[in-house]
Amino acid sequence: MELAYVVVIILLSLGMYTIITKKNLIKIVMGFTILESSLILLLILVSYKPGGAAPILDKPYEIVVDPIPQALALTAIVIGASVTAVMLAVVIKIYKRYGTLNVDELRKLRG
Amino acid sequence: MEAAVWLIILPLLTAFFIGISKLYFKKILAPLVTGSAIIYLYLLILVINHSYPPKVYNVGAWGLMGINLMVDPFSAMFLLMIAILFLPVIIFSVKYIKSHKHKYFIFTYLMTAGIAGMVLTADLFNLYVFLEVSSLSSCALVALKNTNKGIEGTFKYLIMSTLGSFFILLATILTYSLTGTLNMAEISLEFKDIPFQIKSTLMSFFVFGYVIKIGLIPLHAWIPDTYEDSPIPYNVLSSGLVMKSAVYALIKVLYIIFGIDFLDQSGMLHIGVFWGVITFIVAHLLAYQQSNLSRLLAYSSVAQIAYITIGLFVGTEGGLIAGNFHILNHAIMKGTLFLVTAIFYYSLSAVKIEDIKGLGYKFPILSFIFVVASLAIVGLPPFNGFISKWLIVEAAIESGFVYAGFFILVGTFLSLTYYLKVIVTLYTKTEKELLIVKPTLSLRLPTIFLGSLCILFGIVPSIPLSLINKIPKFLLDNGEYIRILLGG
Amino acid sequence: MSRMNAMFKKLYKLVLVVSLAIFLFIVFDEIHNLDNNSKRYLSEHYISEGVQETGAINIVTSVLYDYRAFDTLGEATVLLTAAAILSFLVPLGKDKMLGTTFTMIVSQTTKFFIPFLAVLGAYLILFGHLAPGGGFVGGVVMAVIPILLTITYRVEFSEYKFKPAKKKLAEDIGAIGFILLGLVGVVTGSNFLANGQANFGPGNTGELISAGLIPFLNLMIGIKVGAGLAIIFNSLIKEK
Repeated sequence: MELAYVVVIILLSLGMYTIITKKNLIKIVMGFTILESSLILLLILVSYKPGGAAPILDKPYEIVVDPIPQALALTAIVIGASVTAVMLAVVIKIYKRYGTLNVDELRKLRG
Repeated sequence: MEAAVWLIILPLLTAFFIGISKLYFKKILAPLVTGSAIIYLYLLILVINHSYPPKVYNVGAWGLMGINLMVDPFSAMFLLMIAILFLPVIIFSVKYIKSHKHKYFIFTYLMTAGIAGMVLTADLFNLYVFLEVSSLSSCALVALKNTNKGIEGTFKYLIMSTLGSFFILLATILTYSLTGTLNMAEISLEFKDIPFQIKSTLMSFFVFGYVIKIGLIPLHAWIPDTYEDSPIPYNVLSSGLVMKSAVYALIKVLYIIFGIDFLDQSGMLHIGVFWGVITFIVAHLLAYQQSNLSRLLAYSSVAQIAYITIGLFVGTEGGLIAGNFHILNHAIMKGTLFLVTAIFYYSLSAVKIEDIKGLGYKFPILSFIFVVASLAIVGLPPFNGFISKWLIVEAAIESGFVYAGFFILVGTFLSLTYYLKVIVTLYTKTEKELLIVKPTLSLRLPTIFLGSLCILFGIVPSIPLSLINKIPKFLLDNGEYIRILLGG
Repeated sequence: MSRMNAMFKKLYKLVLVVSLAIFLFIVFDEIHNLDNNSKRYLSEHYISEGVQETGAINIVTSVLYDYRAFDTLGEATVLLTAAAILSFLVPLGKDKMLGTTFTMIVSQTTKFFIPFLAVLGAYLILFGHLAPGGGFVGGVVMAVIPILLTITYRVEFSEYKFKPAKKKLAEDIGAIGFILLGLVGVVTGSNFLANGQANFGPGNTGELISAGLIPFLNLMIGIKVGAGLAIIFNSLIKEK
């Protein structure tokens, strides 16, 4: 259980590190995707109960995991995917206009 | 309270119908959007009238099992703001927007639906979902003109707003894992047993996430870029509603879930006031250096939101009333300024301050309104901005934040300098021949309406204050709010 | 000097991230140590009563389309917004990356697969309240069909088979249908998006036509998500 939280933290810091240090716009978008996935993993962890069954109750189960975070995770995935798609479209647009994806060069081109 | 849920559905339905009408019958766009906005205005007035005592609406009739909408005076004040701004902006945009007209209205309606959802909902995760709806469609509107600056602004906006949403979602998930519920009232009750450190950590996540969306210093850098090259009627809604709705969500989360006692203990009130003071001083200094009119108004928005933050974080009844009154006034004043700017842009594509030289003699009424609104935003009597600013200073000094009161006076002089610069340019005679496209009545009428509200609320502030006076009762004492939401 | 500066900057960011990580570790540890699993009365209610109250066996579906259906409306709106943004942001130009033509094996396999994908998608959508799946997953599988066509036969062919205007229409109809189904609750005297509480006759639990409106809501979301994702993919790939 503790180990899984460590994985969440590693993913989260990895995403954060990517966003604040990388210069390439695509890599920044990737950083956001990593951040999203860390949150989804956290949601799954919140719903987890040891020995629980999936919340599909075709017959009575002893322990069933919490269904709410799973529903929230689905919502979060869809929202994250939409935001990522929009970001990529904007990155494509920027590349088309300036011919570069490097943040520093963009700043220079703008003057 | 059937009307409350219609406030969210109607803009959504309108947006989807515009999407269909774009494919098959293009002609009906103007009547469709105007008609829908008029019905929306009626619904808003209906809901605002029944906002006291607060009402709860269960979506799906699940009671506490599902999602609840709640109309209390605080949300009614925001609905009043939508009511004042939305119809004028729609009428203005029908004439003003030339390219991607259908998309513009789709996104505007989606954004309004998102803001109405944020304002009405009493569920933490639902708040996040509607926040995403409003900020994503707001990003789309920034990109609408498809210019280099616009695209860059969109990217910055997307990055910052996603980062903010990330922290808000993180805090929401942790709150769920601590309390097992997402209803704000139940969370607030469960939070009484949570240790102090964990609560303050959660609070810092919420504050950080929302402050990015509000745009206090040093997280403000994206705001001027998004204002610079976007459709100007959108800026009216952006500064009036989108940024304010983040303020609303922050205040609601802090005051309802954490409660005023905890805010006082953890020192959040002091941090908020201090942050506000720093922000408006820096923003005023930055605004002074701008030559682009939209950027100047954007920095001025940052500063005004800092005043609002001070008012709301003072933590007394007077402070909350003052802050809320300033929210309303700022929406009206900035709306007026942006609409006049939009007309200048429409008539002779004026972007820089020097472009508007001498227009004071060409557009006497509009320029007069511009002067009124800018004096109001600086905070001179007898306009509405003066009253709310005065109330903020009074509340700050009463509860011991004397430095905040002092710096607000300093800030007033700072803002006077750059607004005077604009006004003087406006009335400087110029020899240059100007090619002017005459603005039609549908452009002038909304502007004059908002401008006259600046004067009206300055002379008779009791009209909005009768609604605003009821707000502190439900924020300072969250027990009342919780009791109503739980159906007691 | 500037190299020192750059190194210092990098180190500073690294320290920032590491301290965030340590901070989060402490917070998670403390939250984990608090015994908070006893507080899950809401989810326990869903698990113990959800099948009777909503008629759906899949509790995640009943949370998504009944207890918290309003969230689903919001997220469907977000997806629609994204599709609308993409369709105006990147409307022009032809596909560039697909200059190569594939061998016959690829195109034949694609043709062979498409009916299976359609059946799988329809199954996931329609049985969403009984088995793992639902509108979102089924919609994604449905969207794979135009995406496969785009990848193997170029965008032109894919858009000839599925016209962009038709996809846009399907997306809007899905979203409007969701709201109209929600309004059925209002018409019958209950609240918006009411389903389990509005007595539509949950039917025999476990059958295809059961759980009130949930299968229809699933269908609407399936149409919407499928069309929306196809629009998003084709818009992204068309950019030149």
